[in-house]
Amino acid sequence: MLTATVTHTRGSFVVTVHHPATAGTDGSTAITTEPKPGPSPIVPELKEVVWTSGAFVVFAVLMRYFLYPRLRKGMDRRYTSIREDHDGADATRASAKTEVADYEAELAGVKAQAAAHIDVARRTLEAERTARLATVNAEIATKRGQAATAAESARAAVQGQIEAAVTDVSSRAIELAVGKAPDPGVVQRVVAEVMSVGVSR
Amino acid sequence: MLGLEFPQINEVIRWQNIFGSFNKIALMACAAAVIGIGVFLLAGNKDPLKAPKGIRNLAETIVEFIEDTIMQTIGKDGLVWTPWILSLFVFVYLCNVPGIIPILQMPVTARMALPLFLAVVVWIVYIAVGLRHQKAGYFKHMLWPPGVPVAMKPLVGLIEFASNIILRPFSLAIRLFANMLAGHMLLVTFSLLSAALFQAHTNKFLLVPMGILPLFMLIFLTAFEVLVGFLQAYIFMILTCVYIGQSRHSEHAEAH
Repeated sequence: MLTATVTHTRGSFVVTVHHPATAGTDGSTAITTEPKPGPSPIVPELKEVVWTSGAFVVFAVLMRYFLYPRLRKGMDRRYTSIREDHDGADATRASAKTEVADYEAELAGVKAQAAAHIDVARRTLEAERTARLATVNAEIATKRGQAATAAESARAAVQGQIEAAVTDVSSRAIELAVGKAPDPGVVQRVVAEVMSVGVSR
Repeated sequence: MLGLEFPQINEVIRWQNIFGSFNKIALMACAAAVIGIGVFLLAGNKDPLKAPKGIRNLAETIVEFIEDTIMQTIGKDGLVWTPWILSLFVFVYLCNVPGIIPILQMPVTARMALPLFLAVVVWIVYIAVGLRHQKAGYFKHMLWPPGVPVAMKPLVGLIEFASNIILRPFSLAIRLFANMLAGHMLLVTFSLLSAALFQAHTNKFLLVPMGILPLFMLIFLTAFEVLVGFLQAYIFMILTCVYIGQSRHSEHAEAH
């Protein structure tokens, strides 16, 4: 009966076959096999081709029919939503611009109207001021005339009184000097002449 | 003297089956598919009308990135290919990433199986697209660019045939596979070197501090692999777009 013992040391497999007929002193015959070559680094192994290609095919099929369409659909929805938001924003911006233009036009109209009103008011005010000024000037002129008349009257009255007083004083002085009362008419005329000269000077 | 025993490459990429024929590569490929599905499923569940953030923002950024690339390479008509090219990019990226994730530390694309399968699919797709858009003239336009002298046609046709029909899918597969395997081997090399230096039994005072150097290199290369993982996925995706774009509107056909 054969008995085989397989041992593995540092990459080599050693198979020891025990046979009673050919047994040595220890009763065994050693047959050493070549170390297992392992996979070629270049030649593809069929099992790896099957497993890796299988994994890729499953992944690619799922990507083609499920994963990518789902993701792309979501992306398209978001892009559409963003585009719609942009369009909405553009419309709102255009509407706002129109409103601003309308407001500015309205504002310009109101400003023009206000300017016209202010102009009219200024002209009215100017006319009223001129009229009032003319009235006041006329009143002033009237009052000045009256005052001048009153002053003249007062002056004339005072001059009369002064002439009378001077005439009296002069007549008395002449009378005291000459001892005879002068003609009052002459004295009065002389005094009037002297005073008129003095006033005119 | 430091005795560093570096394992053979097929030992580094040998993975035990977890069950049946299901090994670590298969596990990570399935995990990549599950993570990709999960990300896009969760993203799709979020309210699309709100400003995207978190996982939805991530998914939408990837989708827009792919759509921009398609617009630039194929044109607007090429957007029908978005789900498939998106799957290619995400899946390849998620299969590259495990190369820098602790414990996993093996990109799925560092094995030839996935890159070759994807390259063959791309090859079938761009030939099918060419035949659909240009009918039988696709091969004529592809093999003989305008202005080629009649005497040169056999040679040019042979070169173009080899370039477009045979080498293109292989270059697509090998570019991805070789870059990711090379990155993985670099990480393994510097990890082993660093570990060996830190565990040196002789000249400890010299060798143990020197272990810092490969460790820093390991950290740098890990960061570099983050970039490489993304870049390789992007290159695979953009080349696919370019090939499809060329098949749809062949410059040769336009010149004819």
